[in-house]
Amino acid sequence: MRNEMKSIARGLQKRDPDLLDRLIEQYQYRLFRYLLYITGDKARAEDFFQETWIRVLERGHQYDGKSRFEAWLFAIARHLVIDWQRTKKAQSLDALTDPEQETPMQIANESEPSPLHQVLAQESEQNVQASLGRIGAIYREVLVLRFQEELQIEEMAGVLNIPASTVKSRLYRGLEALRGALQEGAA
Amino acid sequence: MSENVHDRALKLVAEGRVEGLAQSESDWLDAHLQDCEFCNEHARQTDRALRALRTAAIPLPADLASRTQFRVRLRAMELREREPKRRMLWLACAASWIFGMASAPYVWRLFAWFGRISGAPKIVWEIGFGLWWTIPAAFAVIVMLVESTRQSEEPDWMKPGR
Repeated sequence: MRNEMKSIARGLQKRDPDLLDRLIEQYQYRLFRYLLYITGDKARAEDFFQETWIRVLERGHQYDGKSRFEAWLFAIARHLVIDWQRTKKAQSLDALTDPEQETPMQIANESEPSPLHQVLAQESEQNVQASLGRIGAIYREVLVLRFQEELQIEEMAGVLNIPASTVKSRLYRGLEALRGALQEGAA
Repeated sequence: MSENVHDRALKLVAEGRVEGLAQSESDWLDAHLQDCEFCNEHARQTDRALRALRTAAIPLPADLASRTQFRVRLRAMELREREPKRRMLWLACAASWIFGMASAPYVWRLFAWFGRISGAPKIVWEIGFGLWWTIPAAFAVIVMLVESTRQSEEPDWMKPGR
């Protein structure tokens, strides 16, 4: 594992095109899924997907191979989305998404199915999957990182740039929201 | 059973999925879930929700990887084209610096001679010499400052160690 991380770091330092091709192939599903969950929009997730890899090429020398590559990759992707949010709304995604604040970020109008909801619904007719799209973006994000990407709490804190205690509190709320959405979908 | 017992059980159900439980807590929870249908159903729903999250399939857009690979390769070519220019800049800077060092005694005499024949005060031609000699160094400092400004504009998360 550590050797692989080091070899990725060396390859990125040299901007090795074959390594980048391999990484894009290898992480395409996980990165796209993460971006889709945090943006809630397929077309936007595609744009951010490409932009993330351009950043990986340009700033690859900054990956030191000491942490898992995917944690660094997700951090880049997430911050591209935050930068976009800042220019769009002149506010940070963190401010918008802090669970302690009254209104956590909702990508789409709650009364209408979100693009993510539609994507999931198209993919599966099961209510349980479609209901994932109804969860707040910040909760989806931590749930995805923890239960799909299987990142450790500390790694998540690094990706999200928040304390581990906040990660946990978001996870608990997210888990409850997910369970609630599931029940709603079943009803 | 008191409400606190159920609250504790529900808290442990979530904690077990997020952080994991100590053996004693896990044993207590298992025993409670066997007796309490409400908490047991809650635990089942939580597991079902997590299973749904883990198995949720996302349709991957067609050719996303190949389109991205193409863009990345184009950008890599652009970056490679830029590299020789930067290298040339540093080489020119270094060469002029070395030349400046080597020629300093001669240039000093040249400036002194020019000062004599033009009648310029000593301080003037000395400042002229100083300026002439420090131009490559000043140029290098400016380039470095521009580079470091660009680096500092990068967000913290892009820097190593994050």
